[in-house]
Amino acid sequence: MANDREVLRIVWEGQIPVRFQVDPDEIDGVQQPENFYLMISRLSYLPLVTDKVRKHFARFVSNEHQDGEVWYDCNGTPLKWHYPIGVLYDLTTSREDNALPWCLTIHFTKFPEGVLIRCPNKEIVEAHFMSCLKEADVLKHQGKVVSAMQKKDHNQLWQGLVCDKFDQFWAVNRRLMEPVGDQDGFKHIPIRSYNEDGTYLQKLIQPTTDSGQKRTVQDLLEDFGTPVRKAAENGNTTTAQG
Amino acid sequence: MENPGDDRKETSIERDSSIDTVPDKQSTKIDILLNATGNVPIMKKRKWAVEGNKPISSIMSFIHRYLRMDAEDKLFLYVNQTFAPAPDQIIKNLYDCYGSNGKLVLYYCKSQAWG
Repeated sequence: MANDREVLRIVWEGQIPVRFQVDPDEIDGVQQPENFYLMISRLSYLPLVTDKVRKHFARFVSNEHQDGEVWYDCNGTPLKWHYPIGVLYDLTTSREDNALPWCLTIHFTKFPEGVLIRCPNKEIVEAHFMSCLKEADVLKHQGKVVSAMQKKDHNQLWQGLVCDKFDQFWAVNRRLMEPVGDQDGFKHIPIRSYNEDGTYLQKLIQPTTDSGQKRTVQDLLEDFGTPVRKAAENGNTTTAQG
Repeated sequence: MENPGDDRKETSIERDSSIDTVPDKQSTKIDILLNATGNVPIMKKRKWAVEGNKPISSIMSFIHRYLRMDAEDKLFLYVNQTFAPAPDQIIKNLYDCYGSNGKLVLYYCKSQAWG
């Protein structure tokens, strides 16, 4: 998997054109802001683009809220910042109306307490991302690879994602995507199966069947029970698989 | 969970209103083991049965209340001393992937431990 460089690069380069607007109720004054457009990596997280979006809209909302915590919705559905953007896009667009750009609304007030997890700073996002990598490594290698890494390796993974540096990221990530020791492949496959309502299922999935055959994506979808319209892999493999 | 400090029902964190009904797959109880780590009080009772479809945040707020921690006190929760699950992760998902000997082992602390 770590050797399939062309595929890895295509997955890495997956982007979504996004149109941001600000909640009209939050506009302070008569001047209406123009919409704001960005191309965003499917592998990234919303708080990592917030600086740019905030900068565009901040002067149109009241002073007291300009620097506060923001959140996003798509057609009224609050978006979980801790899901990768590609997962959020897939969950909020149906096959029939996947017209681009993806239209999101940024909010500076009325945080939906109890629906979304708060995200006061980017360190929280980094901690969450690293936890996902660790969890995935527990499944793949019983956590041996990630725990043998140094702090600088962790930084390199995170900075690779934040700065959109494929080579920097994969120089470290390849270690997470290879078998270790006498392991033939991964011990288990880290995968999450998302439901339409944004919840997900996780199961312990072996890479091979009882008779030793390699399992296919179809096998996995059956494991999770249909209808599984959208499956997205978790943590580390999100960044490998999109 | 709505009744903090209610210890009458020894084996359950929550007062289970559906106890007399046949539990469906979603509400099956899961045994969890809560271990203190670092500079944080231990809980007299470590083993609890919780509903599998509840998010991990419900366990966090339960511990918070049980230990009478201050509202601003942070609490970190780890699975098997390895990673911190997202607060909205469902307990059953964790049990299915990381449970052993019929229970899910969680560690709690006030500062990042394996983060």
